[in-house]
Amino acid sequence: MARVPMQSLSSPQGRIFQVEYAQEAVKQGSVVVGLVNKTHAVLVGLKRNAEELSSYQKKIIEIDSHMGIAIAGLASDARVLSNYMKQQSLGSRMTYGRPIPVDRIVTQIADRAQTNTQHYGKRPYGVGLLVAGVDEAGPHLFEFQPSGMIHEMLACAIGARSQMARTYLERNLDKITNSTRDELITHGLRALKETLSQDKELTVDNTSVGVVGLAGEEGKGKIESFKLYEGQQLVPLLEAVESGETKEEETMEVDS
Amino acid sequence: MNHYPEVWGRPRDDIYGPYNSSYLQTTGPKTHTQSPAVTGTSVIAVKFNGGVAIAADNLASYGSLARFTDVKRLRVFGDSAVVGFSGDVSDMQYIDRLLESLDIRENYSTHGNMMNAKNLHTYLSKVLYKRRSEFNPLWNHILVAGFDEDKKPFLSSADLLGTTYSAPHLATGFGAHLAIPILRRLFPEEKPLEEISKGEAEAALRECLKVLWYRDARSLDKYSIAVITAEGVEIKEDQVIEAQSWAFAESIRGYGAQVN
Amino acid sequence: MTSIGTGYDLSNSVFSPDGRNFQVEYAAKAVENGGTAIGIRCKDGVVLAVEKIITSKLLKPGANKRIATVDRHVGIVSAGLVPDGRHFVSRARDEAASWRSVYKGPIPVSALSNRLGSYVQAYTLYSSVRPFGVTAIVGGWDSEAELAVDGQVGSGPKSGSGGKVDGARAGGPGLYMIEPSGLYWGYYGAATGKGRQAAKAELEKLDLSSGNLSLVDAVKEAARIIYVAHEDSKDKDFELEMSWISSLDGPTHGRHEEVPKQLLEEAEKAAKRSLEGEDEEEEEVAKDGPNQGERMEE
Repeated sequence: MARVPMQSLSSPQGRIFQVEYAQEAVKQGSVVVGLVNKTHAVLVGLKRNAEELSSYQKKIIEIDSHMGIAIAGLASDARVLSNYMKQQSLGSRMTYGRPIPVDRIVTQIADRAQTNTQHYGKRPYGVGLLVAGVDEAGPHLFEFQPSGMIHEMLACAIGARSQMARTYLERNLDKITNSTRDELITHGLRALKETLSQDKELTVDNTSVGVVGLAGEEGKGKIESFKLYEGQQLVPLLEAVESGETKEEETMEVDS
Repeated sequence: MNHYPEVWGRPRDDIYGPYNSSYLQTTGPKTHTQSPAVTGTSVIAVKFNGGVAIAADNLASYGSLARFTDVKRLRVFGDSAVVGFSGDVSDMQYIDRLLESLDIRENYSTHGNMMNAKNLHTYLSKVLYKRRSEFNPLWNHILVAGFDEDKKPFLSSADLLGTTYSAPHLATGFGAHLAIPILRRLFPEEKPLEEISKGEAEAALRECLKVLWYRDARSLDKYSIAVITAEGVEIKEDQVIEAQSWAFAESIRGYGAQVN
Repeated sequence: MTSIGTGYDLSNSVFSPDGRNFQVEYAAKAVENGGTAIGIRCKDGVVLAVEKIITSKLLKPGANKRIATVDRHVGIVSAGLVPDGRHFVSRARDEAASWRSVYKGPIPVSALSNRLGSYVQAYTLYSSVRPFGVTAIVGGWDSEAELAVDGQVGSGPKSGSGGKVDGARAGGPGLYMIEPSGLYWGYYGAATGKGRQAAKAELEKLDLSSGNLSLVDAVKEAARIIYVAHEDSKDKDFELEMSWISSLDGPTHGRHEEVPKQLLEEAEKAAKRSLEGEDEEEEEVAKDGPNQGERMEE
């Protein structure tokens, strides 16, 4: 295909090839899963390392105390977006003294992404995001795509082999929606586990978990700030996944 | 008469000394934005159990001239906040437009996340501070009344410098001198908010406005009062000060027949 | 399309030898795949409605709104590429806000549509951009009352110069549809998206130009029409979203708002009933379509 102008529509259905190629970059990123119940939003991600001795690529980024993102695709594009989101969050706290509503900030990055699909000399972002956060309307999970598409989801997975995770989420959707905080994390990790190839498993090194939600009864209207679980903090969470399908609740008490 | 037009109609140098013509200078910074023109006087407000009451008269003065007598200086924002303005009326109109566009933006999405009075106060104080830092202040002193994020009554002030402060009852302009002492007597610090009823708060404001009408020469006997509760904002914009008694005025020097 | 592959279809702002701008035509193609969107203009208000195909079970029901509020009195619904629709709405909001800052009052729906038409047309002119992949329906209510000027303080003189004119009436409903080419018309009933043919046929039956349809009835008709238009893609689940703008003395007081839940449910029930009446033997089969997360149309 010679000399196709960067941003042009193409026959037969009015597709934009550049955008579709960008979506491929998302598919090649390692998988991340997000899910919500009535009080919390959880992100889990599978971290990759380039080689045995190298560190693992960060998959979950805190934006503000009420919000975090999980990324799949080009990490550098994600950094541009996350920096922008951090600025906007701080701006809202500075100007209005309130945490920015989740749908608003997601729309802002989506509008930026849309511009990159319509104007010459730009390329779409090569990254997909899951945005988890809480605001006055409760917990939220959004999916963001390079096309500028955003969707508010109950549960979602993007990245390599994410179809397996989505299948798990769809099958357990009712349970997820009505789960407790700790069960929600376990469901997230199980969905993540579904995507692993035979020879792999979830370890404290390759797993990341982010949790944000409404605080319980004692702090009415207050939130449980975004918390990232990595390394040894993951031990009880991973144990809960291992400890079978029945008794998640008791083993999870450690982190509340 | 001589052939220097700039001295025509001015005091003669030979009698009054050299004329100070520095004000005729056309260069130098603009200064007209640094003083108000058409102004509103006091705004007063009181917190009570379950809400806030706020009041201001309907006058916009041009200097000492009572120029406009049907001016609404209380502005409702959303469904649970009221901003009361004193100071320059055209700057108030400008801020009102800011509030209008802010309200429109807030309503783009429908569910939840409405801005409360506290957020609004933070925003307005930043606007005021930014403008004073540009040496182009918005010449207002405002009170913001409503609720905070915990649904507790909220009342706070911001002035043309961006200074903010808060108290269970507040007043701007002359009210800071004439109404605050009355409000402090009626609602002393040790009296908890829970013991102040909506009726008491409203009555106190009306009483303060009456005193202001008696003693503030830039005030009016027509006023607006807004009561903000969990049910919403109840605003009345055509109130009249009733049961006036000017008997006390007889003892004031310079009033009526008594000249000295 | 005989000119495909000749190169004339690859760049915007280029005419093919037979006088076509292919990029605009392709944009229109994107619209044809989008969920059906309609608008109905009646005497006492405007209704907007859109069919939202549920592409995944994991989507949060009732969230993901597709009808946007532009100013207090204007709403926009579009069919085609959803992100382009958001760009369009964002421009509309800027136009409405800039009108307010200049004229100290709300923008008339006709003026807004005109400006948006010009904006969309500009995206057909340059090779540095591609056209909008949306057809948008703009609905609104121009206030019939003599409006207070934005930020006005007093009530002004009661009579005489600058005073009120008794019985003066202006304003009313406005409904416009703007296409990727920048072309726009005013409508009594407008339809776009996948099911537009069926929807148009239904709209024509309503005899909207006679002005006999009430706003509440229009809500019910709009719901029914979306259901009718959905018949061709019956295998996919969908959500109905509706908004309305009434006159000042109507239910929304001249504001653009979501149709209240109760009325929406009532209208949906009635719509389903009328469809069942038409073909009883056909059963309601609703299965999830394939996951189409990558597509930008909804």
